Amino acid sequence: MKVLKTLKKYSLFLMLLTFYSVNAASNTAYEMYLSTGINQQEIPVSGTVSDETGQPIPGAAVVEVGTNNGVVTDVDGKFTINVRNRGARLEISFLGYKKSEVTINGPQRNLQITLAEEVSKLDELVVIGYGSMKKRDISGSIATIDNESLENTPVKNVMSALQGRASGVQVVSNSGAPGDGMSVTVRGQSTLNSGNEPLYVIDGVPVQSNSISQLNGWESHGLNPLADINPQDIESIEILKDGSSTAIYGSRAANGVILITTKRGREGKPQINVNLYTGVSKLTRKLSVLNAAQWRDIIIDTYKNLDAYNNATTPSEPHWTAIDSLNPMNNGDVDWQDIMYRTAYQKQASISIIGGNQTAKYSLSSSILDQDGIILASNYKRITSRLNTDFRITDRINAGYSVSYTHGKNNRINAGGTGNNSLVQSILVRPPVYSLTYPDGSPIYYFNGKRNPVGLAVEATHLNTTNRIIGNQYIDFEILKDLRFKTNISLDYITMKEDEFYPTTIDYRAGYNSGAVRATNNLTWANENYLTYNKTFNEVHNVSLLGGFSQQAWKLETTGLNGQFFASDNIRTLNGAGTIFGQDVNTTVEHSLMSVFGRVSYDFMGKYLFQANMRADGSSRFGKEKKWGYFPSASLAWRFSDEKLFDNLNALEDGKIRLSVGQTGNESIGNYVSQGEFSLGANYLDYSGAAPTAMPNYNLSWETTTQYNAGIDLSLFAGRVYLTADAYLKRTTNLLFNVPIPETTGFDFITQNIGEIQNKGLEFALTTHNITGKFNWTTNFNIGMNRNKIVSLPENILTNGYLQNGTYHILKVGESIGTFYGWKFLGVYSRDEDNVNQVKYGSANGKVFRGGDPIWDDLNGDKIIDDQDKQIIGNAQPKFTGGLNNDFSYKNFSLNVFFQFSYGNDIYSNLNMMRNWVFAYNNVSTDALNRWRKPGDITDFPRPIRNDPLRNEYLRVSDRWVEDGSYVRLKNITLAYNLPAKMANKIFLEGLQFYVTGENLVTWTHYTAYDPEVSSYSGLQIGVDDGSYPQSRTFVFGLNIKF
Amino acid sequence: MKITKFIFIMIFSLSVISCSDLLDKEPVSSFSADGFYKTTSDAQAGVYGIYDAAQSVFRTNFAYWGEGRADNVKTAQSGEGLMLLQNNLDESLASAYWGSLYDMINRANYAIKYIPNIYKEGDAAGNQLVGEARALRALAYFYLARIWGDVPLITEPYLSIEQDILVTRTSKETVLDLVEEDLKFAAQNCRDKFGNDRDRIMFTKGSANALLTHVYMWRHKYDEALTTSNLVLNNSLYSLVTTMDDWGKIFTNSYSKESIFEVGYNEKETNSLRVLYAIGSYAIFTPSEKFKASYEAGDKRIEYVYDVTLADPKAIWKYLGKGLSDEDPTPSKQNIVLMRLADIMLLRAEALNKKGGAQNQTEALGLLNRIRTRAGLPAFATVGDASTMYGDLESAILHERSIELCFEGHRWFDLVRTGKAISTMQPINGLSDERNLVWPISITSLRKNPNLVQNEYYK
Repeated sequence: MKVLKTLKKYSLFLMLLTFYSVNAASNTAYEMYLSTGINQQEIPVSGTVSDETGQPIPGAAVVEVGTNNGVVTDVDGKFTINVRNRGARLEISFLGYKKSEVTINGPQRNLQITLAEEVSKLDELVVIGYGSMKKRDISGSIATIDNESLENTPVKNVMSALQGRASGVQVVSNSGAPGDGMSVTVRGQSTLNSGNEPLYVIDGVPVQSNSISQLNGWESHGLNPLADINPQDIESIEILKDGSSTAIYGSRAANGVILITTKRGREGKPQINVNLYTGVSKLTRKLSVLNAAQWRDIIIDTYKNLDAYNNATTPSEPHWTAIDSLNPMNNGDVDWQDIMYRTAYQKQASISIIGGNQTAKYSLSSSILDQDGIILASNYKRITSRLNTDFRITDRINAGYSVSYTHGKNNRINAGGTGNNSLVQSILVRPPVYSLTYPDGSPIYYFNGKRNPVGLAVEATHLNTTNRIIGNQYIDFEILKDLRFKTNISLDYITMKEDEFYPTTIDYRAGYNSGAVRATNNLTWANENYLTYNKTFNEVHNVSLLGGFSQQAWKLETTGLNGQFFASDNIRTLNGAGTIFGQDVNTTVEHSLMSVFGRVSYDFMGKYLFQANMRADGSSRFGKEKKWGYFPSASLAWRFSDEKLFDNLNALEDGKIRLSVGQTGNESIGNYVSQGEFSLGANYLDYSGAAPTAMPNYNLSWETTTQYNAGIDLSLFAGRVYLTADAYLKRTTNLLFNVPIPETTGFDFITQNIGEIQNKGLEFALTTHNITGKFNWTTNFNIGMNRNKIVSLPENILTNGYLQNGTYHILKVGESIGTFYGWKFLGVYSRDEDNVNQVKYGSANGKVFRGGDPIWDDLNGDKIIDDQDKQIIGNAQPKFTGGLNNDFSYKNFSLNVFFQFSYGNDIYSNLNMMRNWVFAYNNVSTDALNRWRKPGDITDFPRPIRNDPLRNEYLRVSDRWVEDGSYVRLKNITLAYNLPAKMANKIFLEGLQFYVTGENLVTWTHYTAYDPEVSSYSGLQIGVDDGSYPQSRTFVFGLNIKF
Repeated sequence: MKITKFIFIMIFSLSVISCSDLLDKEPVSSFSADGFYKTTSDAQAGVYGIYDAAQSVFRTNFAYWGEGRADNVKTAQSGEGLMLLQNNLDESLASAYWGSLYDMINRANYAIKYIPNIYKEGDAAGNQLVGEARALRALAYFYLARIWGDVPLITEPYLSIEQDILVTRTSKETVLDLVEEDLKFAAQNCRDKFGNDRDRIMFTKGSANALLTHVYMWRHKYDEALTTSNLVLNNSLYSLVTTMDDWGKIFTNSYSKESIFEVGYNEKETNSLRVLYAIGSYAIFTPSEKFKASYEAGDKRIEYVYDVTLADPKAIWKYLGKGLSDEDPTPSKQNIVLMRLADIMLLRAEALNKKGGAQNQTEALGLLNRIRTRAGLPAFATVGDASTMYGDLESAILHERSIELCFEGHRWFDLVRTGKAISTMQPINGLSDERNLVWPISITSLRKNPNLVQNEYYK
């Protein structure tokens, strides 16, 4: 009630705001009325609006439905309005109360309208591990994304729904390819191995979220198993971030837990929803390339420069493709981007039916998606279907069953990477002069050592077919009034079949083709059983207990073969192969987990809240003596707004301080690494061999993350402003890491527990209802700042004080994960003499850099450019990331504008390196027009030289390719129009909505390649642009029909 | 009633709960470290695993190491081949990385340590497998010592991270001592023969002796080389092919009776011969001008080596076959012949010549002439004839090796072994420093092991 008092005190302010908007609207209506000039019979209506206790509500909006006609109540809650139509309905609304409608059939003098208090946002239930809780009672750090923010965005997968929506949750697309994955990082990288992804739990079922793709060519990140879920089936997504919320999931929770709840049935009239949309996508931007004349010019330069370098007496003859512009094989002038990228179409249709009665409730849905990618021949089709049921078996037993089935078919292309088959790169470096067809009109798919990207896209097969069933059954038994028992059995079964084929047309050898097939099954079953006890003592002590046991096991089976010399390009199944090989891919691996968990929650009048969790997990992956890990956590919260002290602080509706500490673990390592491994398939011709492939480490144990969290939740001005702020510190110790070891051991790495990483950060989420009433404006803003630091690494695994981590990164104490390490580019030597110190390449006996060569920073001053001159050249960690969402609604229109941003992260643009490295006959960007041509030229583009004797680009990681990757993206604008109910009813519908969405509309960035949101590959090697499938700009038009 | 239902549910859910062996998951499709080397079939599989590593070792590098820095090849390509030919070696070269050799050594060390536990002491089958493992380890160390000089010497398998992993380099002479010791054991204990194709692709007493001959020649131990080469020449497994067509088939068809040891490949386990020698206009190596000018008129071998009708042949046909077209889909499946009888005969001739004396020289000349006459060239009547043509008998033998064994991965080692590398290569690529004869150690290795010191020339 206090809330309401506060509210009334603020009513004047609110009234003014509301009045402004309503008044503006009614003026227009008045003018309209005047201009129509039709003499209508107006019905005068007056009355009072009050709350359930009889207190008048000032500032409430009273609007005639379907018109602009409206007023607001005065200080005494009174209003007067002239209704234009007999039988019209008046809608009375006020923030924090349920809307009310009355039908006006004649003049009314003293209409008494009572508004019921709306259930506050704070009373909404939030899903937590093994249960749910009122938002107001949460003492950990949990971000919620409800279906409202999901509904009107035609996102195609669950993870993209998270992007920019929750503070501290960084979501990066792996590529723009249809059906491809995204990397989700909650509160920074807290591990050194690849298991950096959060745990996904759908309706209580921990699901497989790693790609099981075995044949994914050059895209090392594979596919996204969460693409199997239709986002429209989702009721809400909760992201558990702090230690106390996640610890109940113990060993897999160190990277956060994402709980996905799907829509369930409810009592009442069945509701049928149909959603249809169609969209069109285009490449967001094109990159520059040289045209035919410019390309010939630079290739001839490479020869001239080499001759000059060698003081050659006879000039070398450039390759004929560079000088012969008349040969029909070689007389084109093409920007291959124009040929390879297309305008792509997509469409989705979905239908859902929700309903039920007292004993049975149901929710069923299905959808079909057909999405073309913007690169030729790429396409993704998905069919999903889901049934959720809940039954009341007896007074004491509830049971339910959920099953979902997804069929996905992904016609992929090899986009990323740097190989001959990597399309994005080959599109950009392919000489513009190469002809598309032979003089007789047949396509040229292989020419001069290069496969035609068109041929690769159109002729080759990369088909990935997925079938997935997730089934889940629960029985909930009420033993006593406060004591319940729940048991859950779930299955998650994925089969993936992959077909790959390279036909003869794209190979240099006549009659050579090759293919491969992989069939992968992944079965996960889980059983969870737990008791819950909830009781309130003396009306003030609320106690809730949870205790349970669970087990889960995984089995991954792969079957496959490779073949070559197929009889025909038209028969692409392996029965057509002349030679079959690749039996070593036929394997099975297993993994299991067993757990005991418990939780105690206590609160005193909702004012002082306490919670403690404990989970013990045993994993088959660890050494015999180290199998079990224990993960405790505790949290405290104080609802200070309930203290008398704050009674007079009227702006404060609710305020809570939260503190928590918790431990979680990580077990994402190979299934058998602790035991060591002898692999089969090390065959010598037809003789079966075996070879040691992993060194055992029987002491291998859990990686543990301890997280401290302090937060505050504030609800101000009667819920108009809602602020959540959190500060956290995460320390991860005993990191599981594949420590590189000298190859003289015969092994590349050994998995060990080493070192410590720290993540600390601040998160803010702010929701404000800026304007309410007829015109509504709500803003959500969130920002997360994470600082990642490697605290310790064992000395004995470091060389020169660091550990090389892939090609571009290092791990170094005091630095963060994602630190780029390489040479510094200081410009280009204008003349030979400018290399005053006679700096040499590689060693004291190396070649001297000359005019036209890059000036590499000789860090140690030894006049030799070698490994000792490498330095930190950038960092891929953003300083902050976040999103800004604005919802506007006015009458039947609603508008959503969503920005998403990342600031302070660097990108290592391997793609820019490839498109500026004048290598062999590759085409380059127009930056090369500014190249060094003769002594005395001052430029930052080095001399192009054939077979560069100083290997200036070859394997040289340099800051020339490090760019600022900050960006602000207008990620989404959606404009929707709801047909007025009256009109909808006329065509026998409950409701009809039209919407238009633009995705990826504008991106503000300094990054010069396709897109600053670059592939993450693994959690460790972040921020490298290897030319993955580019992002696209999409426009969607859709319909939502309610029956 | 309700309580019974509850109990029923409890029992149901508890029945699913198994005991804690749920957490004991042994590998299904592989062995754990404790689970292997238990049976004789494990022992055999472990040894095949070493040969499997040898396939990776020689797949591409046999040519980079053996030909890339020498005078018989040239390249129109950039990259590794060009760097080697220009004597522009640096620590980023792929052929400077020894990882696959140590993989082979580690697999051999496992076999050498564990196979004796499976067999009774002195069991011939066990010793034979250990012999093969030791011969393969010797093969790996022989290449290591020749390419990098001093290298880490590891003779125990790595079973735990507690072992010394940051090893330092051991003197190459110590390494070669172990090579000799291993090969002597192999020459004692390997099989005489398998009686099938395996005679050419797995180690036998004969192939161990052949490799030992190579090692002795590298170490200038001519007496020992004469002993072991004699054993090879008298081994009935090996005889020279007589016709030129059969000579061509040594490489194209593999498993020739002249062959002593080849690394086996097939259409599934392919090598890089195609890319190295015969991918048409893109082959990494083609015959150099010097090579094309160096053979004697009437040499019948050359037409099997490349297309003599072309001034600038684009391919080396020796392995992929005479007349191979660019577009031929033939996979790179030919075995890589590491040692064959003609090779050992010429080494023996060289050793005899080094020993000196008229009788030895005559025998040397006889061996040389057998190779020459088979190729359709006239026999040298006297040592003087050979000297007139090539300066001295040693040069004549070396020249014969260069033609007979061309592109088989011997040339660079022959030049280094005989001290002719600098004099031969200086005019071509400026090679002038003795310290430059070894390869640099790869940056990958240096980064992982701070105790490794780069070879002097490349510092």
